[in-house]
Amino acid sequence: MNPHAKLISIMSLALGTSITISSNHWILAWTGLEINTLAIIPLISKSHHPRAIEAAIKYFLTQSTASALILFSSMNNAWSTGQWDITQLNHPTSCLILTMAIAIKLGLVPFHFWFPEVLQGSSLITALLLSTLMKLPPMTLLLMTSQSLNPALLTLLAVSSALVGGWMGLNQTQTRKILAFSSISHLGWMIVIIIYNPKLTILTFIIYSLMTSTVFLSLSQIKVLKLSTMLISWTKTPMLNSTIMVTLLSLAGLPPLTGFMPKWLIIQELTKQEMTPVATTIAMLSLLGLFFYLRLAYHSTITLPPNSSNHMKLWRINTTPNTPTAILTVLSISLLPLSPLITTLV
Amino acid sequence: MTYFVIFLGVCFMLGTLAVASNPSPYYGVVGLVLASVVGCGWLVNLGVSFVSLVLFMIYLGGMLVVFVYSVSLAADPYPEAWGSWRVMGYGLGFVLVVCMGMGLGGFVDFWKIGVTTVDSGGMSFVRLDFGGVAAFYSYGVGLFLVAGWGLLLVLFVVLELVRGLSRGAIRAV
Repeated sequence: MNPHAKLISIMSLALGTSITISSNHWILAWTGLEINTLAIIPLISKSHHPRAIEAAIKYFLTQSTASALILFSSMNNAWSTGQWDITQLNHPTSCLILTMAIAIKLGLVPFHFWFPEVLQGSSLITALLLSTLMKLPPMTLLLMTSQSLNPALLTLLAVSSALVGGWMGLNQTQTRKILAFSSISHLGWMIVIIIYNPKLTILTFIIYSLMTSTVFLSLSQIKVLKLSTMLISWTKTPMLNSTIMVTLLSLAGLPPLTGFMPKWLIIQELTKQEMTPVATTIAMLSLLGLFFYLRLAYHSTITLPPNSSNHMKLWRINTTPNTPTAILTVLSISLLPLSPLITTLV
Repeated sequence: MTYFVIFLGVCFMLGTLAVASNPSPYYGVVGLVLASVVGCGWLVNLGVSFVSLVLFMIYLGGMLVVFVYSVSLAADPYPEAWGSWRVMGYGLGFVLVVCMGMGLGGFVDFWKIGVTTVDSGGMSFVRLDFGGVAAFYSYGVGLFLVAGWGLLLVLFVVLELVRGLSRGAIRAV
């Protein structure tokens, strides 16, 4: 991709995101979302492969539909209440339409089908952008309007996201699709708590972004796109592969690792709100995700692949060290002891 | 006035149905023109005459280009109008959807829509929508810059997508 065009895209991504997350007026928020959608399209279709073009078109269609719905809901709200404030979304129909629009934008469950397909069509770094940075503006809008949204609807969306995200990831062999379904089930965890404690949503989003960035960056370092390549990738950087294993377990939410913190706090908060059935359900549903994380982790650390031993020759290739990956790996493994500090800061 | 607005609304719905029922592109664009003309008339009735004029010029200008492209790209040997069974099936299905929507949403509330306008000052006052254009150039200049950058970004995105004759996004695979 042309560096100038790439610069324009990335600057516009930053512009759109910052406009949306700092705005207080629906029109500006919508403008930022549209700029974001347009700016990511050249990055998705960077390779000009037919699959990448297909992914870009799918992304554009879903996101523009969702933006139109957001504009419609805010106009409806302004028509009936006479103001455009994001936090004052009072009209019930507008609230419902906005919930649906944000669900489309984020890829929550009834509207999740675009997300794995788009990730599969784009490169690993673009997939990282799509699953972290591009979720930030809709998540901000949801946080700002969360006090007027329908709790039953949000809980339903959240639990079904956790269910379907875990379930559909079970039989996947492509790492980007697995990470897409992992993103969907993590979104379920973020949405289930948004009514009761929005700060925990922010915390979960930050921790999830850390962990998924680590996984995406590590996978792009060893150039792994599917499980069969993962099997023989241990000869490239053995140390990185073992940290990928630990990061994946952190993403699954196992106790001594960072990923346990948001799940722990969310379950605690849900129990305090006397929503024990929901807490139990969503905790059980994350076990579905544990299965494919474990399979990825197993594939990343397997030391006796079913190949001939000639594959050992990758051993001596010089690899350049990647500092961001190292920092992110440390953060996404060992932040759990700092959870009192982090919950105070967020 | 009320009946006129209702008439325009029905024509707008028919125009969108004519597009959505999936005829051949150069018949579909007729429905698109109908919908845009009637929609702009609707906006005039609501009191936003300037925005309606801008929409009319830009929509029709853009749609003539779309028309030329669709005719040149999709030259069917046997074009399908709304008389063919397939298109008619789509159309009837969408009519059913519209009827269900009106039944669920309550058609009655929309009868009052022609009475309220944005500003009721009459012809000799500066209308609100035109005042908004002036505001865009004075204290709304930041928003104006962002909107302009958004339009420029669309141009960049389209150029980046179709750049490179055989490597671009538009090619025969």
